[in-house]
Amino acid sequence: MTSPPAPPRTVVVGLGNPLLTDDGVGIEAARLLAARLAGAGVTVAESSWGGMRFLDLLAGFEKAIIIDAIQWRHGPPGTVYRLPPDEAVPTVRAVSFHDISLGTALALGKQLGIPLPTELVFLAVEAGDVLTVAEGCSPEVARALPEVARLAMDQLAAWGALPEAGCTSSGSPDTL
Amino acid sequence: MTTRTEPARGGRTISIDPITRLEGHGKIEIFLDDRGDVDRAYLQIPELRGFEEFAKGRLAEDMPQITSRICGVCPTAHHMAATKALDDLYKVTPPPAARRIRELIYASFLAEDHALHFYVLGGPDFVVGPTAPAAERNILGVIAKVGVEVGTRVIAMRRRIRSIIELAGGKAIHPVFGLPGGVAKRIRPEAQAEIKAIAADAVDFATFTLQVFDDLVLKNPAYVELILSDAFTHRTHYMGMVDDDDRVNFYDGVVRVVSPEGKGVTRFHPADYLDVIAEHVEPWSYQKFCYLKQVGWKGFADGAESGIYSVAPLARLNAAEGMATPLAQQAYERYFATLGGKPVHHTLANHWARLVELLYAAERMKELANDPELCDPHVRTLPTQVPTEGVGIVEAPRGTLIHHYRTDERGVIEKANLIVATQGNAARIAMSVDKAAKSLLSGKEVSEGLLNMVEMAFRAYDPCFGCATHALPGAMPLEVRLRSLDGTVLKTVRRG
Repeated sequence: MTSPPAPPRTVVVGLGNPLLTDDGVGIEAARLLAARLAGAGVTVAESSWGGMRFLDLLAGFEKAIIIDAIQWRHGPPGTVYRLPPDEAVPTVRAVSFHDISLGTALALGKQLGIPLPTELVFLAVEAGDVLTVAEGCSPEVARALPEVARLAMDQLAAWGALPEAGCTSSGSPDTL
Repeated sequence: MTTRTEPARGGRTISIDPITRLEGHGKIEIFLDDRGDVDRAYLQIPELRGFEEFAKGRLAEDMPQITSRICGVCPTAHHMAATKALDDLYKVTPPPAARRIRELIYASFLAEDHALHFYVLGGPDFVVGPTAPAAERNILGVIAKVGVEVGTRVIAMRRRIRSIIELAGGKAIHPVFGLPGGVAKRIRPEAQAEIKAIAADAVDFATFTLQVFDDLVLKNPAYVELILSDAFTHRTHYMGMVDDDDRVNFYDGVVRVVSPEGKGVTRFHPADYLDVIAEHVEPWSYQKFCYLKQVGWKGFADGAESGIYSVAPLARLNAAEGMATPLAQQAYERYFATLGGKPVHHTLANHWARLVELLYAAERMKELANDPELCDPHVRTLPTQVPTEGVGIVEAPRGTLIHHYRTDERGVIEKANLIVATQGNAARIAMSVDKAAKSLLSGKEVSEGLLNMVEMAFRAYDPCFGCATHALPGAMPLEVRLRSLDGTVLKTVRRG
């Protein structure tokens, strides 16, 4: 009997600022997923940084899910988007005024030979208020969290990143 | 909701709906008159709300953690300003080792941030070219020009400098080391050897980076001309923290202000900041514009009679009489000698000043890393006084940062006030954007390259816009809109 292939090295990153109302939705989603993924061998991380500093978080992983708030106005606050990488990655300019966009960061990693995930999935939640200093999302955005978690878990399962039911877990989450 | 109506040429008025201010991140609105000349340009910035209410009722000792989370860009600066405000609140002096550990971490943070800015944000305009296509005018273009080897060195050095912050302050995304009267943990002798090695490399790296600037910018007459051009020049007051000998200090000291002629105007202790700094409100912006109280607000005007002042690297070098480390002092002297003496009024010189400061930060890291007292286990003086009020000031990468807390006798916050670096630059940034737009765009076909040059007028300050990370790739942080005087949008350009 042959042993199944090793699950891909996978990271889930929640981006945002948990003190700026809806901007923290990615962080809240990461915390929810960290609890569900305990012992599953998937790394769950939180970060308030995008761009260049984000490279350090992604380096060495084969697959990544990135969760963030977004203000697109394509739907009411709480709308969840699953963005294909080709829609999200090609922009080549600052997202933050102080750093480069994730797309540029990924291109930079490639240019410099840094091992970065070959597959990325972006989950974004339409945010309402991102300028008021307050803990916790607004109710309409918080209601999106179960859907975000479900989409993330489905993606992890599709990648074979989750242990089969009944298997022993391959590691513990490394929440930064 | 207030709407500004401003008299404009030809008797027409401009109205800016304040609701549109909050749609995105930064926005530049440029109004053109009938002849196509720039009537006035405004930079609009979303501001965070509700910090005072949020802080009220919380324990002051939680502020270093809370404030470091407000800004994803400058966590260490807020952490340090808050920690120093707590020292003042509890009237407690950290022991020598704690002071050194704090300054080592702070110098490392400054060095990393300044290096990142040069290679990633400021550099592309000069290394790749101010009017190069946007798709090339980024770090990828910089590396294409300077070579992959240099790119790898930049990334590796940045990571190693960050590791000092972890070695000295603990591995955490947000800093947790600062406590009133000291720091949370000592540095072990085995970690000191590694810190010494990294700091020595950081000095080499900073020297190398100044050489890159020399080769790619200063040896290009067109760039030097751009730096010295009137479009990017304002004669304002300058503010920055200095030590007892009036040399630049990021971590501690008194704050010095010089006039546009370079004469010392005031030198104040952090606790007295409200005697010096006042805030002006404009109806078209939620941002508060700081000015010098004793000189007064005279509108958006240059000169000694106007209370407008500037902070950040250019201002810090102007406000000081020198640098406290030898190589940085040499770089400082060369900077002023090349740019026509003190003070330097050219906004784009911020990029060079930032690298002089990078060298100082690296040299200071090296001094502290080699300090025999660094590993002393005594890193905390326990507070015993009843708290009342405390002010802490540091020089953040983007300028003077002030934290002020008033508490009850249990240390519960009754009132909190922050003056962040960009507020100190807000008035000068507004003038810079307006002047650059008028100088560069009037009577010309507005191209993306020219608009980028208008952006350069504020990018030199590296302003902090209270920007969170809520824009995934695909959403643009800046929009430039050209309008006629009746408000009709003629053209919109988004970065990206």
